[in-house]
Amino acid sequence: MKNWKKWLSMLLCAGMATGLAACGSGGGAGEDEPEVSDGATAITLWTYPIGSWGDAATVDSIIASFNEKYPDISVSVEYLDYTSGDDQVTAAIEAGTAPDLIMEGPERLVTTWGAAGKMVDLSDLWDDEALADISAVSEAVVNACKSSDGVYYEYPLCMNAHCMAINYEVFEEAGALQYIDEETRTWTTEDFGKALQALKDSGVETTGVVYCGGQGGDQGTRALARNLYSADFTNEDHTEWTMNSEAGIKGLQQLSDWVGEGLLSYDSGAQAADELQLFANGTIAMSFAWNASNESNYAEQVDFTAYAMTFPSDDGVPELDGGIYGFGIFDNGDEARIEAAKTFIEFVCDDETQGPESVVASGFFPVRSSFGNVYEGSDQEERMSVFNSMMPYLGDYYNVTPGWAEQRTAWWNMLQNVFNGNDLEESVNTYVETSNAATQAALGK
Amino acid sequence: MNKQIKPSIMKKSLTRRETISAYLFLAPALVFFVGFVIVPMVMCLVTSFFNYSMTEFAFVGFDNYKEMFQDDIFIKALANTVLIVVVAVPAVTAFSLWVSSAIYKMNGALCSFFRCIFYLPVVTGTVAVTVVWKWMFNKYTGLFNYVLDSDISWLGDSRTAIWCIILILFTTSVGQPIVLYVSALGNVDDSLIEAAQVDGATSRQVFWKIKWPQIMPTTLYILVITTINSFQCYALIQLLTSGGPNHSTETIMYYIYYQAFKLYRYGYGNAMGVILAIIIAVFSALQFKVAGKKND
Repeated sequence: MKNWKKWLSMLLCAGMATGLAACGSGGGAGEDEPEVSDGATAITLWTYPIGSWGDAATVDSIIASFNEKYPDISVSVEYLDYTSGDDQVTAAIEAGTAPDLIMEGPERLVTTWGAAGKMVDLSDLWDDEALADISAVSEAVVNACKSSDGVYYEYPLCMNAHCMAINYEVFEEAGALQYIDEETRTWTTEDFGKALQALKDSGVETTGVVYCGGQGGDQGTRALARNLYSADFTNEDHTEWTMNSEAGIKGLQQLSDWVGEGLLSYDSGAQAADELQLFANGTIAMSFAWNASNESNYAEQVDFTAYAMTFPSDDGVPELDGGIYGFGIFDNGDEARIEAAKTFIEFVCDDETQGPESVVASGFFPVRSSFGNVYEGSDQEERMSVFNSMMPYLGDYYNVTPGWAEQRTAWWNMLQNVFNGNDLEESVNTYVETSNAATQAALGK
Repeated sequence: MNKQIKPSIMKKSLTRRETISAYLFLAPALVFFVGFVIVPMVMCLVTSFFNYSMTEFAFVGFDNYKEMFQDDIFIKALANTVLIVVVAVPAVTAFSLWVSSAIYKMNGALCSFFRCIFYLPVVTGTVAVTVVWKWMFNKYTGLFNYVLDSDISWLGDSRTAIWCIILILFTTSVGQPIVLYVSALGNVDDSLIEAAQVDGATSRQVFWKIKWPQIMPTTLYILVITTINSFQCYALIQLLTSGGPNHSTETIMYYIYYQAFKLYRYGYGNAMGVILAIIIAVFSALQFKVAGKKND
């Protein structure tokens, strides 16, 4: 018995020692250094869950393809999520353990980390060929990837348009399909109101939910509110927030009125994920947080036709919020690693074979005109053609406006104020003042 | 010829060896304590006097502290935090004592069963517990609205949200105090209770005159740890309300997180951390003063 106890205590001691050793072995948050042969360069990639870029098997296969061509560069990957990913990056930056590569959008790479001087200038990747090819798809993408002083901090891979979706069968049963243009998937504000009324009259308890319990999926509520009367979210220079314009206030007032009449619902305790779940369950008849990726994610749960639609607008011509995703490089001061990271970006984004495959992995659309329809001939062609047809409606990419983080918080707080019965104009003005103060402070730096 | 060692030298040598051994045993914990508690505390205090962000590091004196007390959201967060503490701490302590008094005399298996039941939310991960509560509070598909046949956005209404948070905090906080109280009540000297009963003391008198003084150290410990936990309420807010609606569930801890990790205002966040630490210290000192006196 004594002997047994002795062995057990030795085992425990060994366990503790191993734990201590593990604590002291260096490395950043979850850093998993790859084994590298002599002379090779090891780089790390942190990626947010952008389609299958959050899936280890997919990313591993991309890295395997990369290593076939570049065996002297090893890439280790850390998968972030949108709940705690930013915190991990912030902690890593402050601890000096930021990754070499990161995959996300310009609002983080350019506006936040780029503006803070943490990122590498990627202008050399933006050669004439790339510039022309990407500009041919959207000039907005090019502009979004560079800072106000013209430095490129992001090299884009793919883009998408955020839209909404309706439960086709519920609309059909309510006789509300007459209010949508099925060919262009557009509708006017007036028709949207009529559709809500038709749904309500047919006994649909909750038509849709304007969620405002946090910033998750806030692009949906922004697009909904600003499209109703074609309001601009910011000025052209992206230096001021402008939803307190006549059109902006009118749109928000319309939403408030619909909520007041019981045609729409709001929930200050819900975010987009909660709303999407309600839509997937069939509890509500529409979602304001839809896109190609969400359609794919919720495909198994949805037992009705989730019919993608653009947001309603007064003139029937919507302006959709977009998402641009690509790569940035943190300036870790090691030229060899920076060069290796650039090589990886070029392979993943520009390579004739790998580029389109990288885009397909994202579940979105290429920013390069030369890639054409990357879903052609695949089993996703039909599904993706719907979302592709919405790309021409992509509006201004105002997410790069300085003070973006403060604005996001102020937005959902403003919606809560509005729907909780506070003075609408005053609430919107407070939101705009708060956001503009943050923008001015950021620009002042 | 063997050297004769004086007893005083032997004693000194033994003392020195014992001291060295003691420090060696302490060293691992001390290294961690200094590295992960003392150093960050000092850094927090120092940087609270700086405009410290991702791009700046400039000395600003007490500006962060001045700004804090002019910041309406901070004041709101402070008020919410105090409300949580003032409601949750007495409720947790009283409920734990009541449950423990009821179960500590039960036979071993039954007592363990109840301890397990109340301890379950403690050992279950915060995220898992919160997800279940979130589902129960759901406006459209939640259990509460289903049972009450109502249409309340429990977490989305500023009148109910903070109470929902307190309720969840309460359920996740009672486990440890119950276990501690059961143990403390079990250790109360039976001979004293029997003597009091022989002298004609009522059950109430036995509890307040015999048991209560003997479990006072446990009560003090429970009060202090529950107060600290309540002041540091963060995860529930992060997972359920993000401080909304209209900042009605904003707590100091969550606001520190928001300032530091969302707005990258590390200096301002640290200044709030210093104030929170001072408030916790004052509350704890008061508890020691009040409960400690009775304990003497």
